[in-house]
Amino acid sequence: MPQNLGFLIVHFVVTLVFFIALVATNAVIMVYLERKVMAYMQDRVGPLHYGPQGMLQSTLDVVKLLLKEDIRSQLTDNAIFSLAPMVFFAPVITAFVALPFSPFMTTGAIGTALILYVALSSLDIIGVFMAGWGSNSKYSLIGGLRSAAQMISYELPLMLSLVGVVMLTSILGHNGVGSISFSDIINAQLQTPWLWFILIQPLGLLIYYTCGLAETNRAPFDLPEAESELVAGYLTEYSGMRWAMFFLGEYGNMLIVSSVATVLFLGGWSGPGADLQFWQAHISANPGGIFSVADLVFNLIAVFWFLVKVYALQVVFIWVRSTLPRLRADQLMQYAWLILIPITLVNILVTSVLLLAVPQPYTLWVTGIVNWLMMFVYIFTLTRIIQASPAGKKPVWVNEPTNALGFMPSKTDNALPAGSETPKLQSPTPAR
Amino acid sequence: MTPNMSTVDQSHTYSEGAEGFRTEEMILNMGPQHPSTHGVLRLVLQLEGETVTHCTPVIGYLHRGIEKILENRTYMAGIRYMDNADYLSPMLNETAYAGAVEQLMGIEPPRRAQYIRLITNEMQRITSHLVAVGTYLLDLGAFTPVLYAFRDREGILDLFEQLGGSRFNVNYMRVGGVLHDLPKGWLSRLETWLDAFEKSWQEFDVLITGNEIFMKRTQGTGYISPEQAVAYGVTGPIARASGVNYDLRVNNAYGAYREVAVRPVIRYDGDAFGRYMVRLYEMKESIRLIREGMSKLPGGPICTRTPIELRPPRGETYFAVESSKGEQGIYLISDGSEYPYRAKIRGPSFVNLQIVPELMRGHKMGDVVAILGSIDLVLGEVDR
Repeated sequence: MPQNLGFLIVHFVVTLVFFIALVATNAVIMVYLERKVMAYMQDRVGPLHYGPQGMLQSTLDVVKLLLKEDIRSQLTDNAIFSLAPMVFFAPVITAFVALPFSPFMTTGAIGTALILYVALSSLDIIGVFMAGWGSNSKYSLIGGLRSAAQMISYELPLMLSLVGVVMLTSILGHNGVGSISFSDIINAQLQTPWLWFILIQPLGLLIYYTCGLAETNRAPFDLPEAESELVAGYLTEYSGMRWAMFFLGEYGNMLIVSSVATVLFLGGWSGPGADLQFWQAHISANPGGIFSVADLVFNLIAVFWFLVKVYALQVVFIWVRSTLPRLRADQLMQYAWLILIPITLVNILVTSVLLLAVPQPYTLWVTGIVNWLMMFVYIFTLTRIIQASPAGKKPVWVNEPTNALGFMPSKTDNALPAGSETPKLQSPTPAR
Repeated sequence: MTPNMSTVDQSHTYSEGAEGFRTEEMILNMGPQHPSTHGVLRLVLQLEGETVTHCTPVIGYLHRGIEKILENRTYMAGIRYMDNADYLSPMLNETAYAGAVEQLMGIEPPRRAQYIRLITNEMQRITSHLVAVGTYLLDLGAFTPVLYAFRDREGILDLFEQLGGSRFNVNYMRVGGVLHDLPKGWLSRLETWLDAFEKSWQEFDVLITGNEIFMKRTQGTGYISPEQAVAYGVTGPIARASGVNYDLRVNNAYGAYREVAVRPVIRYDGDAFGRYMVRLYEMKESIRLIREGMSKLPGGPICTRTPIELRPPRGETYFAVESSKGEQGIYLISDGSEYPYRAKIRGPSFVNLQIVPELMRGHKMGDVVAILGSIDLVLGEVDR
C-alpha cells in the first residue's frame, strides 16, 4: 500500500469512524444479543415487538435512557458523581487505538500495544471507585470497594497469562525477537498457517478469559453490582444517560477483552479468504484510487473474520452468565491470589523452560502438548479440591420411615373409617 | 437512611483494629425495598467491613390483619383468606383451616376428599419448593434456574385452574371436603405433567447440585445444629436438613397420610446446601406420594353435607398440617356463633425467621442473601 499523505488521511478518518461506530453500536448489538441468547437458553422468547424479531428494542432503550431525568440525591458529591462515568468511559474508547481489526484498520504504530491495553484497562477502577464514593450511599460504597479490590487482584493474573504468548513470538516472530505489538503477534501466528496460539497456550487463554470476566464485572464475578446483595452496587444512585455511560463502558470493555483474546490466541483477522496474495493474484482491477480492489476485498474479509471471532467470544460471556451462580467476595479474592496467580507463574516457568530446552523442530509440539495437559490437570484438580473439602462430603440421606421423636402413631388407633360413606354431621350448637 | 436506633445494639458500634485504628461499624438497612429480601422484609445489619456483627429483622410491612379478618368471616368464607397468608402454598393453608374447623365440629371428610386433599397438597408442595429452589439460585446470582422452575410450576397452576377455577388463590377446600370433583381427564393430565417433571427434576439435580460455585457458596453457610433447631421451634425442611426427624405427615398423620406412608427426607448437614437438598428430594417424594394417592383414589362423595353457616360447638382446637415450610397450624376458639372467636395462625415462616439473626452473625455480607434464601420466607405469612 502506498504511504502518501492522502492515504494517511483516509486511513485516519476511516479508522476513527469505524472505531466510534463500533463502540457505539456494540452495546446496542450486545444488549440485543444478550437478551436473545439468554432467552433462548432460558426457554423464553426475549424481545419480540419492536422491529423484526425485536431488533429495535435496544435502540429504543437507548432513546429512552437519553430522555430520562437525571436524578441525584441531595447528599451526592456532585463533582465526583458527575465525573465518574466519563472517567470510566474514556479509557475504554482509548484502548481501541491499540486493536488491529485488519492490516489497514489499525493505527499500527503502537509497538507497545499490550502494555497500553493493560494500563488502560486498569484505569477503569478509578471511575468505579469515584462512582462508589461520590454517590454517598452505602450500597455504592461497598460496591466500589469490592470492585477496586477485585479489579486490582485480577489485573495480575490477567497480565501474567499473556506472558506465555509474548514468549512464543520470540520463536515465531519475523526477526527472532519477541514482540508486544498486536500486529507482530498476529503476524507470528501467520508464520506457519493456522498456528493460532490457542493451540499452544490453551491454559493462557482459559486464565485470561477468566480474568477478563472479572475485569468486566461479568457473572460469575459480578460482585460489585451483585443485584441480590447490593441492589446495583456502585450504579445504585445513577440513572439516565450517566448510568448508560457505565453500561456502554462495560460492553466496550467486553469488546476489548474479547478482541485482545482474538488477537493473542485466535489469530486475529486470519481466516479463510483473508489472504492478500491470493486476491492480488486474482483481482487486477485498480480504478486508480489510493489502494487497489484486492486490498479492499482483503481488508473487508479480515475485518469480518475478526468480528466473527470477537462476537463468538462475547456470546461465551453471555453463556457463562446464564449458567453460573456468583462467587462470594472472599472466595473471589482467594481464587485470584491462591489459584490463578500461582498457576500463571507455573505456566510462565514451564513455557520458558520448554522453549529454551527443547530443540527446534519439536519445540512447539512439546510446548503445546504440555500446556494442554497442564490445563486439564488444573481443571481436574480444582474440581477435586472443591468437592473434597470437608463440607463437600456427601452425608447419608435417610429414606426409611424412622421414629426418632418416638411418637409416630400406629396405623390402628388413627385409621380412616372404613368404606366411603359420608359421616353424619353433628348438630351445630345454637349461638349464645 | 436513618437507622432505627431502637433496633440496633449500641454496645459495640466502635471497635479497635490491630493497629489501634478506630473503625466505625456501618449500619445498613437491607430492605424493605431490596431485590432479595423476598418481599418486604427489612434487615438492619451492623457491618464490620463486610462481616455482619448484628442483624435485626424488622417485620410488619405486609401486615393485612388476616387473623382479624378471619374473626369477621364465617367459617366457610374464612378459607379464602388463608390463601393470602402463605401465598406460595394456598392449598396447604386451606387444608389447615378447613381441618381445624372439621376437628372443632367432629367431622370426618369422605375418603375421596381426603385423597384429593393429599394430591393437591403434594402438588402445592412441589410448586412451593420449585419457587424456593429457583429464587434461591437467583439470590446466589444464577439467573436461569428460576425460569426453569417457574416453567414447571406453570403446569401445576394450570391443573389447579382446571380444578378450582383459579390458578393462585384456589379457594378449593371446604369444611368437610373439597369444592369440586376432579374434572374429566384431569388425572391423566396430571400423570403427563409428573412424567415431564421427573425429567426436569433430573436436570435440576445435574445442573445445580453438582455446580462447584453453588457448593462453595452453600456448604457450611448458616449452620443450624439439631439442638438449635429444636430450641428455636424450627420446623419443615430446615429442621429436617439439621437432622431433626419431624414431619407432621408422619408424626401426627392427618387425612389420607394415615394410609399413604411418607418417607421424610432427612439430612445431617444443617447448612444451606442441606436445606436445598431436602427441598429437592422432597419434590421427588411428593411425586411418589401423588402417584400413590392417584392409584389409591377411592370413589364416593367429595364433601359432607355441611350448611353454609356453620356453628361449631363452643371450644377450642389446634390443627396443624405439614406445609411446604414447616408446621402450619391453626388455633381456633369457637364461641358457638357462626364466626370464630379467635383464629390464630401458627406460620412456619414466622417461627423460622427467629433463627435468622443467630445465623447471620459472623457471616459475610454476601452470605446474608444465601442464608435468607435458604430459610425460604414468605413475608405474606410472616406479617399476615
